[in-house]
Amino acid sequence: MITLDRASLRYGPILGLSPTTFELPDGGGITGLLGPNGAGKSSLLQLLSGLLPPSGGEVKVFGEAPFRNPAVLSRLGLVPEGDRLPTGLRADRWLRMMGELSGLSGEGLKSAVAKALATVGMADRAHLTFARMSKGMRQRIRLGQALMHEPELLILDEPFNGLDPEARLTLMALLRDLAEKGTRILVSSHILGEIAQLTDRILLLFRGRLLAEGTVTEIRQLLDRHPVELRLTGEAQVLARWAVEQPELAALRMEEGAVVISVRSPRDILPRLQKAAAEGGIPLRALDPLDLNLDAVFQYLTKDHA
Amino acid sequence: MNAAPSPLATVRATALGYAPRVLQGRGWVLAGLVALPVGLSIVIFTVARLQGADGHPGEALKIFHEVLVKMMLPIMALVAAPAGIREDLEQRTLPLLLVRPAPAWALPLGKGLPWFVWGALWLVVGTLGLQVIGGDPSLLPLRLVALVSAWWGELALMTLVGLLFKRGTLWGALYFFLWEPMVRIFPPFLQRLTFTHHIESLAGSRAAEVGANQLLAQEQVTTHPILACLALLAFGALCWALAGWKLHRTPIGLAGSEAEG
Repeated sequence: MITLDRASLRYGPILGLSPTTFELPDGGGITGLLGPNGAGKSSLLQLLSGLLPPSGGEVKVFGEAPFRNPAVLSRLGLVPEGDRLPTGLRADRWLRMMGELSGLSGEGLKSAVAKALATVGMADRAHLTFARMSKGMRQRIRLGQALMHEPELLILDEPFNGLDPEARLTLMALLRDLAEKGTRILVSSHILGEIAQLTDRILLLFRGRLLAEGTVTEIRQLLDRHPVELRLTGEAQVLARWAVEQPELAALRMEEGAVVISVRSPRDILPRLQKAAAEGGIPLRALDPLDLNLDAVFQYLTKDHA
Repeated sequence: MNAAPSPLATVRATALGYAPRVLQGRGWVLAGLVALPVGLSIVIFTVARLQGADGHPGEALKIFHEVLVKMMLPIMALVAAPAGIREDLEQRTLPLLLVRPAPAWALPLGKGLPWFVWGALWLVVGTLGLQVIGGDPSLLPLRLVALVSAWWGELALMTLVGLLFKRGTLWGALYFFLWEPMVRIFPPFLQRLTFTHHIESLAGSRAAEVGANQLLAQEQVTTHPILACLALLAFGALCWALAGWKLHRTPIGLAGSEAEG
């Protein structure tokens, strides 16, 4: 469905996206695009949605270059970042226009507008002008315009920004539902927790480079090659003595009533630690993995490349 | 998968979609630019008549040329054009339109059309209003054609300039208020590169008044009214087409900026 072959994007002298290569197969599912602000997420999404042509390399969506290509654009929907909408227009009329610009007409257009409004829960407020809508309502309308023509590929750029928790959960449920029905969804965020709740398949971007790609588990396996910090709470001296005997230990520091160890391959050492604690071999009261989560993976990888 | 809409369907959808915009603040400013000077002159004329004074026969012609053509028409174009496709560029809502399968080159015309119709409506009302203060009925049709076709051309030009330059309004103002007045001292070839020349070829000259500051004026040339009208309409169409071409060719991203494609 999506193929990038050494695709890059420059904004004059600034490199927005380094030559990047990856593929997303056909079929539904959600792929998360992760990275801090300025990582190149929006650049990548703009290439995929046909807003910008690549400065180098090749971008193909549905087998064709997407820039100003109606054959591709009629099959994708984009929800850009932010809540901007044209001033002074009513939501229902604007959606109607967007439907017409997607090639819908007649009864098909009418039902598409109604369906999109119902899907995003705005059917009863569609007569409002954008100026009278809250940020969450505008975000829903922006999602509605992307869904009207039932795209096979839905691209969302930071869709959770500015949404209240309830709206966030509603949007997540909606995206999961769409993915189950066969829509391929590409969603960007700089907050790992949001993506982790939505999908297991992620692309990590940092400073215009694709750092890693795979499932959350696969990304976590990267940790096995790098030290992970664990805090062992208990009798620090005894715990430290046990820790220095472990082959995976990379570093150790003492805290009050605890010892923080840095270990490689945590999946090897953790069972031994649990067993030793259960058998009373070490006085362990608590074990806190300091960075064994998706945020840590992200921090870790980006630190390596910073 | 839906078929991409035709250019005509794109223009129609965009024009109807954005039509309500003309009934908001900027639209009424546009209306006021015509209605106020004409309305004011009607009031003054009426008061003068009530006090027994005779209306000056050249007054309507003077207001037509000196106020509507020279001042209000360019200001209308400078006010309306930024509310066209340029508005979407500045508000960063253009990507929402550009990710549709509709032909991007038809969007500037589609967005500009409601403003053209609204402005033309008020220009017609204003020109008809000038009849009250003694406008020559025989010149009325040509004056209407002159104003409406010039409005078409000036709005299209400003739309194009707005897509070509960041400070399109400034360049437009320089064109209208520096270049156009020089029609009086231009040689014949350059006279034809002004809106004023074509408007005067259609609607008659500016009351044949030549001031002391125009002693150095070149010989004023005229163009056949039909040719003048066609020139204005064709120039407008060319500008809309170029604006569409510019939009189609220019990569415009989410930040409203261009990337090096």
